[in-house]
Amino acid sequence: MTRTEIKDRLVEIMLVAMPDAEETIKTATEESNLHTDLGFNSVGILYIVIAIEEFFNVRFENVGFNDFQTVGDVIDYIERAQAA
Amino acid sequence: MENEKIIEVTQNYFTAFSDPDIARYIHEEDASVGAMWERVSSQFAALPAISDLDKTYSYGEMDADVAKLRGALAAAGVKKGSFVGVLIPNSYHTVKAFLAAVSLGAVAVMIPPHLDGAVVKGMSMGYRFAALIYSDTSAEKVQPAGEVTKLVHADAEAEPVPAADCAKKDPCVVLFTGGTTGKSKGALLSHGNMLRGTINGCYGVGKLDGQRFIHVLPLTHVFGLVFNMLNPLYTGSCVRIVRNPKEMFRDMAVFKPTKMILVPALAEMAINLSKQMKLGANLFGGCLTTLIVGSCAVPQHLFKEYADIGVTLLQGYGLTETANLVSANPRNDYKTNSIGYPYPGQSLRIVNGELWVKGDHIMMGYVGAEEENKAAFEDGWFKTGDLVRIDEEGLLYIVGRIKELIVLSSGEKVSPAEVEAVFCGPDYVNDTMIYLDHTETGREILVLEVAIRPGFTVDEEKVKADMNAINTTLPGYQRVSKIIVRTEDFPRSASMKKIRGKRA
Repeated sequence: MTRTEIKDRLVEIMLVAMPDAEETIKTATEESNLHTDLGFNSVGILYIVIAIEEFFNVRFENVGFNDFQTVGDVIDYIERAQAA
Repeated sequence: MENEKIIEVTQNYFTAFSDPDIARYIHEEDASVGAMWERVSSQFAALPAISDLDKTYSYGEMDADVAKLRGALAAAGVKKGSFVGVLIPNSYHTVKAFLAAVSLGAVAVMIPPHLDGAVVKGMSMGYRFAALIYSDTSAEKVQPAGEVTKLVHADAEAEPVPAADCAKKDPCVVLFTGGTTGKSKGALLSHGNMLRGTINGCYGVGKLDGQRFIHVLPLTHVFGLVFNMLNPLYTGSCVRIVRNPKEMFRDMAVFKPTKMILVPALAEMAINLSKQMKLGANLFGGCLTTLIVGSCAVPQHLFKEYADIGVTLLQGYGLTETANLVSANPRNDYKTNSIGYPYPGQSLRIVNGELWVKGDHIMMGYVGAEEENKAAFEDGWFKTGDLVRIDEEGLLYIVGRIKELIVLSSGEKVSPAEVEAVFCGPDYVNDTMIYLDHTETGREILVLEVAIRPGFTVDEEKVKADMNAINTTLPGYQRVSKIIVRTEDFPRSASMKKIRGKRA
């Protein structure tokens, strides 16, 4: 998967996780902060974690979602996990 | 008193929707939670009780473990009436510790595991815990708290001692309230309270035999402890404890639950995931029949979305102070905006719209909080703080909370929840909010904000026209003077309750 494909898929997941923030998520960049710019709540984050594990076939081991600051950080993690 | 209605609930509305064999499970003669556990652990000895990580514990095995820990508590000096802190994140050990303490006649204080060490220490001293039971997963939060409190590991064992004799009126557990009405308070519940809450959970949920429950809610929460744990154990069911919420669907795939208890936000998250992954009911393991939700208003679309995958969603209403549910819907095709019928054997009183309740499920009181107790009780009635109405069929509806009431300068009172519900009719509306504002000239007006449901595109002018049409059906004092359409949801608290008030 290319970085752009990963981001597109991630946006699809985030839209379901936080449908109320459609405008914000659609215009998110890799620099967007998950907490302050996108405003994910705890249930939204739980959704993203579960969905990423399923759709990208990766596991968040010894890493919490709060360890990620930006959309780009999450994409980095998925890229590295898929390459491993 | 003016404007009041007293309702003695003599009818059991749930009979038609309960297991035809329910009488076999109900044992009113159990004198305490300890006596109940002794009975079920012998009755269902060979059946699986709790599944946690990669181990499943039978009722018999668990009873032996409870007896050993009870022995360790007795050896540490815990006696009938002692306060014992339980600081263990959700696991088999949390349940074992709770049962060991209360079967010894001690009062189990269920400490939310997210509290930090200093708060736990303060609590140990405040309650003068005879013992604090902890586990490997909470060890770092445990600090010695003086001479009084002995630290007991959940795996501690000593010569088993028999359960103590307790009566229904004896204190059993302290659970902390959610604190939507202010700071968190410790509600003291008796053995009788816990047993009534447990029994109520058996009504109106269909088959009781051989059920499998998934457990995600905190065991320090009344819903998580009573409805999601004691109730299944009461009926010989098996409970799978999900330690990490992100693993809940993997656990479900293996455990194949038949029943599940969630808060609305999690129920919504789960159905969205099921849709996005195109898994339907298979996301839940394929055997789920019933999903029980409570704690705050349930989005109306969830009822249909769960029905579409063959799962019955039941909405209930209860408080920590009422040891589980006061009312519930015994079926989902009735009135989805209702919190259901009251459980039998209680008395309800609606005083100026507020629900007051009396019955053997009502807590003994808040611990060490004289002022709060004075405010919460009147002539033995517990005042819920929730505004309700009851229809001719006996169904209850929440219309608001007392502190949410908008008092107009005319002296008239508007319950925002009641008016907001009326504006939620059109299918493109996600939620609405009413609040008081002032015009530039200082005139007091009611403002309506409408949040559009995600995925719906609707012209702002049409929304305003529809809302205006609804507005004209309301009594004059409830009508709004300004309508704002928003595409994003309202800000919400951690428990997903709308944060009220005007936003810039």
